[in-house]
Amino acid sequence: MTPLEVALIAFVLVTALATALFRDVLSAIIVFGAYSLGMAIIYTVLLAPDVAMTEAAISAGVTTILLLLTIAKTVRPSTDALFESVNVPAVLTVGAFALVFGAAVLPAIPAIGAESAPVWSNPEVTQYYLENTYAETGVQNTVAAVLAAYRGFDTFGEAVVVFGAAVAVLLVLDREVFA
Amino acid sequence: MLELLATRYAYVAFIVLLSVGLYMVIASQNLVKKVIGVNLFQTAIFLFFVASAYVEGGAVPVVPKDSAGPTEVIVSPLPHVIVLTAIVVGVALTAVGLALIVRIYTEYGTLREDVLREVRSDD
Repeated sequence: MTPLEVALIAFVLVTALATALFRDVLSAIIVFGAYSLGMAIIYTVLLAPDVAMTEAAISAGVTTILLLLTIAKTVRPSTDALFESVNVPAVLTVGAFALVFGAAVLPAIPAIGAESAPVWSNPEVTQYYLENTYAETGVQNTVAAVLAAYRGFDTFGEAVVVFGAAVAVLLVLDREVFA
Repeated sequence: MLELLATRYAYVAFIVLLSVGLYMVIASQNLVKKVIGVNLFQTAIFLFFVASAYVEGGAVPVVPKDSAGPTEVIVSPLPHVIVLTAIVVGVALTAVGLALIVRIYTEYGTLREDVLREVRSDD
């Protein structure tokens, strides 16, 4: 656990709490964009550059634009209070959830980066992809190779989901064309 | 105890972020903030996957061109692939949810859950 990791984790926790507590929706959206960017940097530190790029482009970019479009089309409630009042029963429920879940999960899983990490409990699977990706697909980036070659049909299914979502949005908004 | 938290810092962050997302879904009266809460919940799970793929002293999952296979330790690419798919599906779901919110606003003129409940019970 390096100082950089500590700072990044602290940054995402603070921005997440600010997102939850800001009363003004526009402020919450902007802070959530900063949160997504912090997450993208954490993914980079954890050696997942593909995930980081997607998070920065899609979560910090597209999701923020969608949220801003929504409040542009609806309403941004005007308010004097900076923070929302805290809902005590909800905090207690969620806090109990976090404590029970944390007490059950944290001792049960190996430390981050340990040889016994969850993914390495069955190393043959991961090793197969690492050893054969270039020979079988001609792609050096294993993430891209699994996404587009080994699991190409799954990615096609994902494209169908996105198409279905676009159709659903047009239906819900009662429009035949994008405008 | 402290060592347990320090060696599993990303999992601790995962649980806290999961709880904050859950709190937003339960307690926020504004529908847009509920959708932000779902997104926050989702990114917490992505953090769990990415942290579980990480290996100390590893390299990014890009393999050399020779056919002998990688000689160094490389983080597992498989959870990364799952997360990439989930991010794209998540933004599609967010778009549908926000479209429903815009439609609710044009029908009822409010984004607040409590007001919406009152208006609906008057119908």
